[in-house]
Amino acid sequence: MSLSAQNLSLTLSHTPLLEGVNLDVRPGSITTILGPNGAGKTSLLRVLVGELTPDVGSVSLNGKLLKSWSPLQRAKTLAVLPQHSLLDFPFTAAEVVMLGRTPHDTGAARDREIVQHALLSVDGDYLAGRIYTQLSGGEKQRVHLARVLAQIWEPTAEGERYLVLDEPTSSFDLAHQKLTLEIVRNLAGKGVGILMVIHDLNLAARCSDTMFLMQCGRMVISGTPHEVLQRETISRVFQVEASIGVHPHSGTPLVIT
Amino acid sequence: MRLLSPSRLLLILACSLFPLALLALMMGPVFISPMSLLHAALDHSGFSGSGASSQDGLILYSIRLPRVLLAGLVGVCLAVCGTAMQGLFRNPLADPSLIGVSSGASAGASLMIVMGGGALLQGGQFAGLSVVALGAFAGGFLAVIVVYRLATSSSGTSVATMLLAGIAISALAGAFNSLLAFVADDEMLRRISLWQMGSLDAANWPRVGIATFAVVIVMLVLPRQGAALNAFLLGESEARHLGIAVDVVKRRLILMTAMAIGVSVAVAGTISFVGLVVPHIIRLLIGPDHRYLIPASALAGAMLLIVADAFARVVVAPAELPAGILTALLGAPFFLSLLLQRRRTGAH
Repeated sequence: MSLSAQNLSLTLSHTPLLEGVNLDVRPGSITTILGPNGAGKTSLLRVLVGELTPDVGSVSLNGKLLKSWSPLQRAKTLAVLPQHSLLDFPFTAAEVVMLGRTPHDTGAARDREIVQHALLSVDGDYLAGRIYTQLSGGEKQRVHLARVLAQIWEPTAEGERYLVLDEPTSSFDLAHQKLTLEIVRNLAGKGVGILMVIHDLNLAARCSDTMFLMQCGRMVISGTPHEVLQRETISRVFQVEASIGVHPHSGTPLVIT
Repeated sequence: MRLLSPSRLLLILACSLFPLALLALMMGPVFISPMSLLHAALDHSGFSGSGASSQDGLILYSIRLPRVLLAGLVGVCLAVCGTAMQGLFRNPLADPSLIGVSSGASAGASLMIVMGGGALLQGGQFAGLSVVALGAFAGGFLAVIVVYRLATSSSGTSVATMLLAGIAISALAGAFNSLLAFVADDEMLRRISLWQMGSLDAANWPRVGIATFAVVIVMLVLPRQGAALNAFLLGESEARHLGIAVDVVKRRLILMTAMAIGVSVAVAGTISFVGLVVPHIIRLLIGPDHRYLIPASALAGAMLLIVADAFARVVVAPAELPAGILTALLGAPFFLSLLLQRRRTGAH
């Protein structure tokens, strides 16, 4: 059981975006995708969640081809947090989070409970009655995080759950970056498979079980943070000289540029 | 913060629709008192036993009642389809005319007026609809189908392409319309421009029947898309990730709009601003949740058009204004004030 990609290749208008990419997201673990701009991270994410169809290769969710899932069944097991949201209507924050319960039929009372807990878990319980369009960028992103949490809040009969996040921490302050990582870690502890695209190498190092480093549409290396975050690899992929230390508390690698 | 809870608004609207309709029945070049309204109702339902229809009863039954009913039904179609389009385009300023239905219908009606000449116009009736009305329905429906097909490829329907195709098809239909107006004689020209103003003065029972049919279908289908429309507001990909069969929903919304707006244009001409303003006001009151927005807009749309048409009958009595002029006259300044308010508060 996993969310996995086999030998993905994708070309859009003669530009190869992905070439022979393999990736596996296991339930209960945190997988991150790293790489410089234009490495194909977002393309890979979009193929993995079914927004783009690969030219070659396939994606499978819990052992079944992704495209053979019905939209409703898939939504019960796979939630996606985009980097930006297009929402521009004056829902309250609680109503936005409630949208995450769309695929479920657990009843209004249970849904309201879940919405409340989800908002609380992102430190957003005080936002519940506020109008979404009037929130700050960071607050909006937290509301959407709560929305995808509400979507996969409980185990379902459809199988293991997965959460895919595209740069979830980009608009957060330090405290909320840390909170996000805790939430994600917590979810993984409950058996949810997490896949994140993340830019901050040190944040990634802190939370990842497995890291995938991409460059020009190809997978350069994958493994634990210690295996991936090597000085030579970083200078080759990111074109910067860096020293690698060790984080004093967590013992994870610390990239200093 | 919200001004009203959705259920309270629905209750208020539902309770005021019937009294308003009664009031509209009384208003017109001939004022009908509440008492004769009651008499006529009793006469017609056979309770009073007198059998003889009074003049008031005749006016009520064959003129006022179908007209008020038609105004309400057309109002429902316009407002509900406006709500659906604003949700589909994720834009509170969207309107059914965006997908070409209004201009297509105008061109269809003009074509029938110019081609039909005298004979067809006098005698050509089909199920209570004139040939012109049929031309309008066909033109509107055809325009939407062309727009939808242009925007649909193997990878689904692009809403952005649909918007652009709608503009292009509207321009094309507009040019065709102008061409027809150019070759038309004076009498035809007057008919064309009167038709485009939109009016309910041709109301009769067959038209009420057709409009009822359209409203029943639309109200069976669209309110069930409430949750899907809510998810649409997040964006199409997000709606898909929430388990919505996006392309199926889009096709349903487009088809329903083409059908309902086609019918309403056929029976009442182009009546502007109802589809734009009604959902907008309701959203200001109860927020954008489509599960309430759709039924509330339906009720409010019916009320707005019933009121507008009642005024259209009395302001310049014994003549009457086309209701379309009145809705635009009232709707445009109101809409501008909404825009200004939105700019001032920065809210939507």
